[in-house]
Parts: sequence; structure tokens; C-alpha cells
Amino acid sequence: MAPSRPQPRPEGIAGSPHAGPFPVGLYAAKLREELRKRARVQLFGEAFGFRAGRAKVFFELRDAGGALPCSMWRDAFEALNLGGDLADGTQVVAAGGPDFYPGSRTSSPAFSFAVGELRVAGEGDLLAQLEALRRGLAAEGLFAPQARLPRPALPRCIGVVCAEGSKAREDVLAGLRRRGWAGRVVWAFAPVQDRRAAPAVTRALQDLAAAPEVEVVVVARGGGSLADLFCFCDETLCRTVALLRVPVIASVGHHTDRTLLDDVAAVSCSTPTHAAEAAVPLHCAQARAAVHDAGARLAGHARRAVLDRARHLAHLSRAPGAHVARERRRLHQGLREVRASASRRAREERVALGERADGLARRAAAASGPGADAHRSRLEGFAAALAAHDPERVLARGFAVVEERAGGGIIAGAGEARAARALRVRFADGAVDATVDGPGG
Amino acid sequence: MADELTYEAATARLEAIIKRLDSGEAGVRETLELVREGRALVEFCAAELDAVGRGLQELRLEELVARLEA
Repeated sequence: MAPSRPQPRPEGIAGSPHAGPFPVGLYAAKLREELRKRARVQLFGEAFGFRAGRAKVFFELRDAGGALPCSMWRDAFEALNLGGDLADGTQVVAAGGPDFYPGSRTSSPAFSFAVGELRVAGEGDLLAQLEALRRGLAAEGLFAPQARLPRPALPRCIGVVCAEGSKAREDVLAGLRRRGWAGRVVWAFAPVQDRRAAPAVTRALQDLAAAPEVEVVVVARGGGSLADLFCFCDETLCRTVALLRVPVIASVGHHTDRTLLDDVAAVSCSTPTHAAEAAVPLHCAQARAAVHDAGARLAGHARRAVLDRARHLAHLSRAPGAHVARERRRLHQGLREVRASASRRAREERVALGERADGLARRAAAASGPGADAHRSRLEGFAAALAAHDPERVLARGFAVVEERAGGGIIAGAGEARAARALRVRFADGAVDATVDGPGG
Repeated sequence: MADELTYEAATARLEAIIKRLDSGEAGVRETLELVREGRALVEFCAAELDAVGRGLQELRLEELVARLEA
């Protein structure tokens, strides 16, 4: 650092009744000296905006009448064993006195109440008021209506209340992008801190809810102290939200800060990004894939409903034809078997007849062999012999045959003739009847 | 309108339809009727998704109010 050079004292203001001019550093050092002379006192109020530096911790002590910046040596604060920092609104008693850091050419001066001792006095008034209001709203049932509102899975239009140009706005957009959602966003920019915030946010919510196309509203704000977020505990704002027709998704402060808006809203989220995702519960790309899949499955069912049944019908319609064809085949087979059997039988008969014919032929041939003439001569001999003994030939030679007239029997003796009495005598040329008269001579 | 179809109602009905069709218990007439209804729901859902997929449209509340009052 360049060594500081003593500056020449400039001329004072002409006609001014005040002493000087003096170097500011000299005056700042004198001021610190004067402040440090003041009596040490105890103050009480609510601590806000606690932050820890390298050597010191800082916070503000506030009440309805005013506030003081406070500082305390870090090791002294940690010796109190408060388990971390001072939550906003914590009521404390601080003992110490005013101090002034005079700063330098390269550092800013700072006034603070230098706290030597500290005691936590109990729940702060702000928190107590908040709890009282929370209990009152809960008793009226105002935490329920928003939670009962149906939230659309795929809103076309989302209203967002946030500060213009804020990080919360960017986070909401990032959340919507993550969902693959690209519909309509209606921005209702409003202050989200100080006394103007609650009425402005209330009006913005009422206007958004009055627009029929707005289906869900996000209220987004980044983190801050309880005092900063206190506008979101405003009673009018909370009562308005509780009775809105559209669901409100709150993302105010960090997850450790719970405002009354978080209680009355339909959903409370830890970050604006999560709030945006809660506003669009559906992941659009996945939903598109699911709808496409559903369409394909429906088409498959439609196709199968017709084709499967048509196939079944075709199968049924083919069944009688197949049965007839089967019967025809069976009959043809039977016919072939009958034909085969008949021809086999005919063949066998033919063979048998052939054999019999052969036998007969053989016998016929045997019968018409070389011994036939000899047989014929012998037969002719026998015929001549028989002719010689023919009675007719005897009659021709003059003999007669006596026969019984009644019976025709040959009478071969006299006794037979006597017995018969009526006789017929046959000659070669005819017969005469005769009667036995007596024994003859 | 209370009876206006919502995306979630459409997808719930679509799931029920596909479940019924997957069960294989629906006859051909019921199947074709369910498929017709399902196709209409798919078209509705696709249109809803298209409506939030054409590109982010940003509007200020004052513009919306002015439009409503016009």
C-alpha cells in the first residue's frame, strides 16, 4: 500500500461560524473516544439479521420504537452456548455501550452497540404475534380450503407472484423447463418485502384468481430474515389466499422459515423451482410418451379384436369343409380297399377255376386216350350177347310167352297157370287171352 | 363447468380402458366401443400436451387484466 501523505489543510468555508476544518480521521477517532465515554447500559429488544464475521458477530436489536446495530466478539458470543445463531425475533437483553469504528481511507466506518454480555429473554413479540395469528386462523379452519382445491395435473396457464427481475422468477422458469412445460405464464410482479408488500401481493393474487384462464398461482420469494418475510404473515393476505378459487403454491424463504402463507396455501415448497414443479405435477415429455403408448396399445387391441376373431371365424368356416374332405378321403380309401379285395378274390377264383379246368382237361385227355377202341369192341360183344338172349327174338322163332293177365307176371309152370286161370299168351305177332279149363292131358 | 374433462380424468379413464382391454374379458362390441372412447381420450390428452408444448408465452398481469376488460 502506498504510504499516506499528509494532506495540506484547505481553507475553511468563508463566513462559517464553526471551527475547523479538521482532518476527518482525527474527528472520527475523537467521536469513538466520546462514544466510549457513555455509560454502559442494558437494552432489550428482538434480535434480527444475525450474521457471524471472522472475529465478531453482528445483529440488529429492534423494537417498535427503533433499532440499533449491535456487535459482539465472536468468542464471547460462542461462550454463551446458544447453539448457533440468534433466530430472528429472539428477544434478548444486551449489555454494553455505543462504539464507533472510525474506518480508514480503504474501509468504511461503522457505528454499533458493542455488546459485552447477552441473555436470551424468551420468545420475541413478533413470533408470539405470529403464533397467536396462526392459532386463530387454524381455529377458523382457514388452513383447509386451499388444501381441498383440486390441482390440475397439466395447467395451461400459471400465475406467478414474485419480484420483477428476481432470482425467484428465474427459478420458477427453470422449474417449468424441467417439467418440459411451455404454456402461458402470467407474471404479477409485486414488492415482496416491506410494508407495501402484503397489500400488493394480496391484490395481485385477487387479480390472478379473477382471470378464468389462470388455473394455479405460485407465490415465490427467496430467503430472508423473518422480518423480511413478515409480509407473508399478513392476516389480510392469508385470509384472501384461504378463500381463493385457485390453488396457491407458496415458496417463501427457506425451508426453515415458515410463514402463515405456507400454512394457508394449498402447497408449501422449499424453493421456487420446487413450487414450479408442484404447479405442473406432470412431466410433459413422459406424459407424451405415455399417451403415445396408450394410443399404440389401443390400436393393437382394435387390430386384434378384429383379426383374431376373423381368424377364428375363418377357422370355424373351414371346419365343415375339412370334415367333408376327411370323410371323402375315408370313403375313397374304403373304395380302394373294396376294389383291391374284389380283384384279389377274382384272381384267386380265376386261379382255382384254371386249376379245375386243368384237372378236367387232364381227365378228358386221359379218357380219349389209345385204349378207347378196345373198350368199344368189348361193348359191342356184350351187346351181341345180350341180344341173343332177348325173349323177343325167341318169340320170333315161334315160341310164346304166357303171362298172368291180371298182373302181367311171367307164368313159368302149369301150377302157376292153374292158379292164375286168366292168362295172356303173347306171340311174336300179338297176344291172345286164354283161360285154364282143366289140368290138361 | 363441473363436467369439463380434465387431463387427469382423461388419463385415469384411459388407464381403466386399457386395463379392461388387457384383461381380455371384453367382447368384440365392447372392445371396439372402448377403443373408440380411448382414441378420443388419447386425442384429448395429446391436444392438452400440445397446448403446453408450443413454447412459453409470458404475459404481465396488467396485460391480462386489460385484455379481460377490453
